[in-house]
Amino acid sequence: MRRWSIPLLWLLAALGCGWIVWTTPVAADLTLFASRADPVAELLLEQLRSGPTTRLILLGLADDTETERATVSQRLAERLRASAPLARVVNGADALPEAELQALFAHRYRLSPTVAPERFTEEGLRAGLQQRLVELQSPLAVFQKRWLAGDPTGELLSVLKQSGSGLREPAKRLGVWFSPDGDRALLLVETRQSGYDLAAQRAAVTAIHAAFTAARAGTGVRLEMSGPGVLATLAADTIRAQAELLSTLALAVVVLILLLVYRSARTVWLGALPVLSALLAGAAAVDLLFGKMYLITLAFSMTLLGETLDYPTYLFSHRRAAETVAGTLRQLWPTLRLCAATTMFGCLAMLDAGFPGLSQLGVFTVAGVAAALAATRWLLPALLPPNWTPPQPMAVGPWADRVLQPRPRLALALGGCGALVLLILIVEVPTLWENDLAALSPVPRELMQLDQELRTALGAPEVGHLIAVTAPDAETALRHGETIAAYLDDRRAAGWLTGYDGAMRYLPSARSQQQRQIALPEAATLTANLNAALEGLPFKPGLFAPFVDAVAAARSAPPLRPEDLRGTLLGTRVDALLFPGERGWTALLPLSGVREASALAAGLPQNEASRAYYLDLRAETNRLVADFRAAALARIGWGAALIVAVVWLGLRSWRQVAAALIPVLLALVFTVAALLALGERLSLFHLVSLLLVLGVGVDYGLFFSRPGADPDARRRTLHALLVCCGSALTVFGMLSLSALPALRAIGLTVSLGVAASFIAAVIAARPLLTKMS
Amino acid sequence: MFVIRWVGLLLCWPLAVVADDDALAQVMRALAAVPAVEAAFREEKTLAVLDVPLVTTGVLYYRAPDFLRKRTLRPQPEDYEADGQWLTVETPDAGRRQFDLNGYPQLRPFVEAIRAAQAGDQAALERYYQLEFQGTPADWSLRLTPRDADAQRYVAAIVLRGQNGRIDRMETLEPDGDRSVMTITSR
Repeated sequence: MRRWSIPLLWLLAALGCGWIVWTTPVAADLTLFASRADPVAELLLEQLRSGPTTRLILLGLADDTETERATVSQRLAERLRASAPLARVVNGADALPEAELQALFAHRYRLSPTVAPERFTEEGLRAGLQQRLVELQSPLAVFQKRWLAGDPTGELLSVLKQSGSGLREPAKRLGVWFSPDGDRALLLVETRQSGYDLAAQRAAVTAIHAAFTAARAGTGVRLEMSGPGVLATLAADTIRAQAELLSTLALAVVVLILLLVYRSARTVWLGALPVLSALLAGAAAVDLLFGKMYLITLAFSMTLLGETLDYPTYLFSHRRAAETVAGTLRQLWPTLRLCAATTMFGCLAMLDAGFPGLSQLGVFTVAGVAAALAATRWLLPALLPPNWTPPQPMAVGPWADRVLQPRPRLALALGGCGALVLLILIVEVPTLWENDLAALSPVPRELMQLDQELRTALGAPEVGHLIAVTAPDAETALRHGETIAAYLDDRRAAGWLTGYDGAMRYLPSARSQQQRQIALPEAATLTANLNAALEGLPFKPGLFAPFVDAVAAARSAPPLRPEDLRGTLLGTRVDALLFPGERGWTALLPLSGVREASALAAGLPQNEASRAYYLDLRAETNRLVADFRAAALARIGWGAALIVAVVWLGLRSWRQVAAALIPVLLALVFTVAALLALGERLSLFHLVSLLLVLGVGVDYGLFFSRPGADPDARRRTLHALLVCCGSALTVFGMLSLSALPALRAIGLTVSLGVAASFIAAVIAARPLLTKMS
Repeated sequence: MFVIRWVGLLLCWPLAVVADDDALAQVMRALAAVPAVEAAFREEKTLAVLDVPLVTTGVLYYRAPDFLRKRTLRPQPEDYEADGQWLTVETPDAGRRQFDLNGYPQLRPFVEAIRAAQAGDQAALERYYQLEFQGTPADWSLRLTPRDADAQRYVAAIVLRGQNGRIDRMETLEPDGDRSVMTITSR
């Protein structure tokens, strides 16, 4: 009964943790990098997550003839508008449908930027009427004359100019957008959901592919697709495929190693239990404390928990026939406990970091290591027969003694070498960090290039630069937007940028609308002015009655609000650029062709009630990563101090502390030096991998300097550490072969670090113990 | 007797069509043979919004195969120039603006009605219009009815009149009853 109570308890706990993990969402965003007290960072990440520029999908239609490309462009646009759940599909053809044109016409006196008192005086009206008369003589009059009776001052034209002049429009051929060289027809699609909502993006991409297959029927036109969402989907797919392949291979090889070394199937599944416990407990703890887990935390934490793979190996290799499993564990317990404690305390400093990502990493590791330790200490003996030993045919022979022979001179040389390398690193290292997350992107270079080409041809705003205005309400945001628009118009004339977009271009603030309403004269005055202006002009009497009525109606109409435009194309544009959030409203002004970013940012007009921020997404992301790394490094420093304290508490001897910790210090120094020599620029992935190296390396040092061990025990320790180091080298060595920069970074760092830790521990641990005694 | 007349009509009808087609082809060949034209024009627009017709005068220039310029001199100077796919508009107020005709498909039929006609390019005309030919090569009229529903919103028909390779008159009928008549006098 007692024998089964522990496994039963474990099973219940595992099921409970599994349930928590299963029911808690995993978030695939970057907020974990953001400090909790940084308003710009919050805005920025909001933009990175769901800003309008992330929702754009750029389409190019290549091959076949120009006519076919244009035809397919039209058919594709029609199909997408009819069927797919997209916010916007544009290909340059007939930008405004009749209904939208009618809506603009209906609201012309509130929307037109040219409405001013002088337009409605006798002279102003006369000038307008004469202008209309000139237009009537033109061959193009057939398109315009229907608006004449209601709009003699030509406000509709002003509205159209205003909303059409934002971002540069691509060149047109056969009525649709084409790249300047004519090789590609171009379309722009805007999804409803964020570019990083991978499920929604995948659905959009699938819908586009389906519509294209139908639209291209019978032609040789080829579809090219790009945009943040498309790239993110692709990246996720690539990472998943690579990670699955490599982890399956690595798992197979590790199982093979275990079978080869211990000749026992039991070691394989028992060996997996501590890791499994660690993952479940860590994930459940994070889920309970934070309510959600970041995908990247999960990935980093799984790397960190690689250490717990070693725990059962320590037990298996130290087994001997003369004692029980529980007896072996009792002997190992002080060292094993210390191994786990060092890792846990090393991560403890991260718990209270200002960055949610660091806190999660800390919680995950502490809970996971504790669970793995408990599983090794109590679950494994409960599941093993009391006298079980692995067949162990590959036991270490007399050569082990030669390896373990203390070599003080070699150790001294190693130490001296390490000190020298450390000195070089301290002088060099600040310049060697990689802050650019894009450098670690798994997206192939050709696709990045295609993205750039399509973006340039379409004149689509770059993901890079935008101005964000935060305000307590929509009206304040629009007013501030109008001030900034005036500023940008001015700077555009000076060539600082080529264009911008913004909600105020489509919907003026209520204040501007009211100013325009005040500019409109009352009916009697208007009629008098109009009659005077018509004197001598050939217009039919009574023709402009609709104009007089429209002005009278516009004078008393309430200002248009964002909600009045809902359901129209114009409304969709406004909603994308002006939206409510947790803390008031945000208005966005995406910029294109920015040449003088810092000067633009410096002169940005500010308001009392609202704030404008200039966001250079790439620079800001890099800054976030750098801040995150600085915080992580500081925490690791505190963690290192805690590790020293814990080891001292456990061993109560500075000599032993030195023997346990100096080898791993040397290993870290050598690993970093080797990485830099290989031309790697250190990123977050390297940093997290170094944490794992620290955890594993401390364990090696502790085991090799285990007090009171006889030569036989040392041989067994060597056996255990060879197995640990061998499997880690296999798994992470495979990762280092990956073409994905992130996986390669982790693989290379850990395999180099584990090898260095092992060698340093073998060479330096014993001499440090004996030399000083 | 009645039956014979019907049979006779039925038999002759394709002949009549062939004769028309022949005459049309003949006119098209004559038009295509003209390398360049310089002509004065007088256009009279009768519009519902105006009390009196709007009269404009100016000069037309054509150079085979696809250059056409309409230069209005009175009452307001205006210049429209279609050269290949490019349409250039110049007015005293707005200055010079250039459009790619490919980007504005609704403009194309208006340009081709006279440019493709003067070029004798029947295929181009038929792409945008249904053709109805009447008369003889020496005194013909060609009625162009837009095929495209979008173009039908703006034009009911365009009627060209001419003698052999010369266009004398272009009448544009709009669906709302507005019409314009342009008379062309070769210089």
